[in-house]
Amino acid sequence: MAEVEETLKRIQSQKGVQGIIIVNSEGIPVKTTLDNSSTVHYAGLIHQLVMKARSTVRDIDPQNDLTFLRVRSKKNEIMIAPDKDYFLIVIQNPSD
Amino acid sequence: MSTSLGRDERRSRRALVLRPSSRAANVSASGGHAVSHGAGHASGRRRFSLCAGSRVLEKRHAARVLDDDGNDVTPQPLSQADPSGAHQAKVDRFFVEDITGGSASEQATAAGSFTMPFSRSLFGSSRISSLSAIESINEEIEDIFSKRDIPINYPDEHKKRDTVEEEVTEEMLKEVIDVYISETDSVSLLDIPSTVMSVDTDESEAIIERNRQYAEVCRNRMGNDKYMERSMQTLSGAAKDKHVQSDAVVMVNTATSASTWDIYDALCSPVPQKTNYPEAVVDMSRSAERSMSVGSTASTATAVSSLKEVDAFGSTSGAESDLQLIMQSETFQNCLLVMEKSILGNTFQPDLAAYRQLPVLEDPDFPVRQRKEETESGGPPALQRLWAFSCELNRGRSVRSMAWNKKNTDLLAVGYGENDSGDLTPGLVCCWSLKNPTWPERVLHCDSAVTSLDFSANNPSRLAVGMLNGNIAIYDVQGREQNSHVVSSSECLKKHLGPVWQLRYNQQGLSFAGEKVEELFSVSAEGRISRWFEFNTGLDCTDVMKLKRIHNTKKKARGNNTEKTGSVLTAMTPGLCFDFYPTDPSVYLVGTQEGLIHSCSSSNNQHFLDTFRKHFCAVNCVAWCPLSPDVFLSCSSDWTIQLWKLDQLNPVLGFTSIQRAVCDIKWSPKWATIFGAVNEGQLEIWDLNSSFLDPVAVQPAAPGVTMKSLLFTSRADCVLVGDSDGQVTVYQLKNLRVGESSQERVGCSSDCTGVLVSSSEFVQVDILQDLCSEASS
Repeated sequence: MAEVEETLKRIQSQKGVQGIIIVNSEGIPVKTTLDNSSTVHYAGLIHQLVMKARSTVRDIDPQNDLTFLRVRSKKNEIMIAPDKDYFLIVIQNPSD
Repeated sequence: MSTSLGRDERRSRRALVLRPSSRAANVSASGGHAVSHGAGHASGRRRFSLCAGSRVLEKRHAARVLDDDGNDVTPQPLSQADPSGAHQAKVDRFFVEDITGGSASEQATAAGSFTMPFSRSLFGSSRISSLSAIESINEEIEDIFSKRDIPINYPDEHKKRDTVEEEVTEEMLKEVIDVYISETDSVSLLDIPSTVMSVDTDESEAIIERNRQYAEVCRNRMGNDKYMERSMQTLSGAAKDKHVQSDAVVMVNTATSASTWDIYDALCSPVPQKTNYPEAVVDMSRSAERSMSVGSTASTATAVSSLKEVDAFGSTSGAESDLQLIMQSETFQNCLLVMEKSILGNTFQPDLAAYRQLPVLEDPDFPVRQRKEETESGGPPALQRLWAFSCELNRGRSVRSMAWNKKNTDLLAVGYGENDSGDLTPGLVCCWSLKNPTWPERVLHCDSAVTSLDFSANNPSRLAVGMLNGNIAIYDVQGREQNSHVVSSSECLKKHLGPVWQLRYNQQGLSFAGEKVEELFSVSAEGRISRWFEFNTGLDCTDVMKLKRIHNTKKKARGNNTEKTGSVLTAMTPGLCFDFYPTDPSVYLVGTQEGLIHSCSSSNNQHFLDTFRKHFCAVNCVAWCPLSPDVFLSCSSDWTIQLWKLDQLNPVLGFTSIQRAVCDIKWSPKWATIFGAVNEGQLEIWDLNSSFLDPVAVQPAAPGVTMKSLLFTSRADCVLVGDSDGQVTVYQLKNLRVGESSQERVGCSSDCTGVLVSSSEFVQVDILQDLCSEASS
């Protein structure tokens, strides 16, 4: 448990990391380092995106499953690690 | 008959009225009983009103429910009573007849003349059932009626009840009530008399006579005028409508879309979870817009609720417990690690790409500082710093030993010794992965400072660690739990008493299964070289060699190969390093603190095969050239590096650059003529092809930091340097011109320092040619 906290702190302190959001399976953010409105915004939108991505992957081959999703944009990169019970979302700006 | 009965009943009922004292007990008990059903106390009080001599009909009071304000909230009956009171009275009397445990004939006839509507019979049956629920009743009627708890409201009684109520209430409040509890008699609910009787009874004669008469009548019936056929018709009773109301049937609409993987999941999942219908109803009522349920399996209600608005942000207690559950799950930890590596991958992408010799991806949106890379054959050989493995755990500790994992070449184990101040802190071993230079994958705390370590080749997850106090511990680094200590030599009797300066796993020979047998060898400061094997739960060792101190070195003639017994063997000398011959694993070299290098065989543990003398300080490291046979290097604290050939007792070449003790030396695994050396002030890369005098590339150490150990990477062109500050820095070798023919370099051999002259010149040429041919091949 402490190890998990430590890892989260380390991630938070890496270069360029803007925020970390942990969302539970219902789409409600349970832990975040961003402000409330952004968190809710991200959580809602990313939830839909991940559902779509996962559905796509699994439709092609039902034995497959989505393990990691990275969205690279002009300003930053959003990395999403989806799972059955939660999503882990990290927003990083690697050039900082 | 019924009316007469009714009168009797009424009389009996009235009779009971006149006996209030004996009956009051039962009544009060029943009153209590009624109260327990939630009826107001007024109903209990009501019973006592009967003692006042009023009509008996009030006895048959239904339970009335009063709430706190005294409002009558008695539930309405399913069917309203008939308005005609007289009819009711008759009806009730019928009830009475029905219920009383009267004589058998009476009961039978009463049932026969029972023409009540169906609804009433319901009441009757319910009353009977309520009777049966009660313990027992007397034959008297009052108990039957008083214990009734059916909410039947008779309008005429209602009025009488109301009037009676007012009179009684005040008095009853003050009166002291005695409650006598008694057992009532048993009630017979059904009594069908038998149609046979014994001949011995008194009436038997009359019965027999009657039977005989009847039989005669039957015989005479056929032609007799007295009997006529006649048809009869029974009237069917008037039908009555009855309305029944029930709860609405709850209908739930569900919809789902089954995609390919939905079907697959349903096939594969072991236990399909049931849909929670009540929850679905609740959910539907909660959220207004409810689009088609998400195409996940129809199992969890969470899928349904995932479309809920994200309103409560972590404020509900459910979210808190969710967080705890999530944080503790194994997959989350793995996921965090993957995420961390991805983030670091972004940060370190140029460095890692250079390491792996991949093209550096340029970020199209951030054309930032491009490192000035002198690609191709631009400039001189150079060392470029890529990154450093360090974290605050090992800040200040000096890196004593490094080793690559034999199987996963991205995994590096680094052993940390004491820190700068020199006090004995517990040692630390960190296993680093290339993918995460900021935090080690595994951290192992050891009892004392770590001096050497090595990974096993047969079991790639086993790491042997040798420590300053002489202990050897073998760890399994695969598990995540801390200090997965497999075995230690601390209980061994023959363990080393001095620091274990070097450990090596060596594969010797073949076992029955055909795989190489691997054994752990160690050399320690007490002059023993031991072979270790696991025994029970500890390690045990056998001595392979004892390094005996050779006292009078000056008297020994040069070129004298073996050690004669004439020399005085005193105490043992610490061995600092050893290395196994690549082609014959049973032969190895040992460097001692005296400056001697012995070559030994593991089959002979008494004598050395050869002794090489040149150094006059401790030999810090010996290394066989992996690509060229019989050539090895040694470095020592006397500022020199010597290149030897196995069959010559004098070094072929010597190198020195700055006047510092050389701590570590390693051959490059790819190029035969390149080796790296680390002395306290700088990292040097020597290329025998280019020059004997100077290293081709020099990297000075950071100020205040001394470099301690060196490691080449097997595939890449990088070297790792560990320093006294706990950092392991990765440098990339660039622009090393290898493979060129070195014929023109032969001429400078005479300028080499520290090299024995004359006949060895040609030997140098031979060696160089060997090395160069290896390099070009």
